[in-house]
Amino acid sequence: MTFSSRTWRAVALVSRIALGAVFAYAAWLKLRVPWQLFAGAIGNYKVLPYWAVAPLARTLPWVELLLGALLIVGRWVRTAATAVSLLLAGFFTLMVWAYARHMDISCGCFGPNGDAISWRTLLRDGSLLALSLAVTWISYARRRKAA
Amino acid sequence: MKLVALALAASLPVLAASLDADKSKIMGNPDAPVTIEIYSDFECPACRNFHMETLPQLVKDYVVPGKVCIVSREFPLAIVEHKYSREAANYATAAARVGKYPAVADALFKTQASWAASGKVWETVASVLTAAEQKKVQPLAKDPGVMSEVQADVARGQAAGINRTPTAIVKRGSKQYPLSDYGLKYDLLSSLLNDLLK
Repeated sequence: MTFSSRTWRAVALVSRIALGAVFAYAAWLKLRVPWQLFAGAIGNYKVLPYWAVAPLARTLPWVELLLGALLIVGRWVRTAATAVSLLLAGFFTLMVWAYARHMDISCGCFGPNGDAISWRTLLRDGSLLALSLAVTWISYARRRKAA
Repeated sequence: MKLVALALAASLPVLAASLDADKSKIMGNPDAPVTIEIYSDFECPACRNFHMETLPQLVKDYVVPGKVCIVSREFPLAIVEHKYSREAANYATAAARVGKYPAVADALFKTQASWAASGKVWETVASVLTAAEQKKVQPLAKDPGVMSEVQADVARGQAAGINRTPTAIVKRGSKQYPLSDYGLKYDLLSSLLNDLLK
């Protein structure tokens, strides 16, 4: 299969837009409620001090929204896809860490009062991470081919 | 004692139990712009911490000035470790009928470790009641009306998706925000209240 094949291009496009839409949707769910609720979800992981939790809760949803929008419109795709992969890898690591410690907390992925961390949320976020890594790989592979 | 005094001061403006709770369970002006419903379990250590540390600050900074009204709701967790939660909730709710909810809640939380180990819930409750109040409260705790009031709180909490204690539901107009665990840290809660009160 080559990157010039129409099917492959369509799959790459749908994957990128789907990943962007998921990120934008997750951001919207956080931005529609006061930031303090998301701060509570971040704080429940007990890995950051309060002075770090508050600014992170205020900015992270905007970063997610920006990255989602960039993936949807197809601008700065490599940068956006790399950033999304790094963020998802960070989120996934934290979730695995919390799950291993039997912490009964919301993952905070889709808003402050979302699903509690379970094998289902791990499977969902692991799948998103795999999708993100694929989108990132495709974006760099295209650049190599174009060069 | 300090909390009881603050609660008494804060409950002076209560004119009517318009919040679907006994007025002894309401601290502050029911017409305050923000209402916080606090679901707690008397046998839960995190509820004790919230009651002893965060609540007095909330009362002083927001309830006494009339900005926030606090409603106490019972949410005895049905777990084996909390053998006396429901009994304590029943006694506290019965004490609310004689206007002694704040004093009883204070006593139950303060001596939580003791009665949770010994099962002497009534003795703890009675220690802050007069003889006449004891005569009323003890049978009232077994009154179907009181028990159904506790169950109504539990059902209300479950309907709101509550599954842990303490959980606070912060309400401003038609909007409501549930907070638990880290979200109940005073700095965060205070920041949310300040934003809602702007």
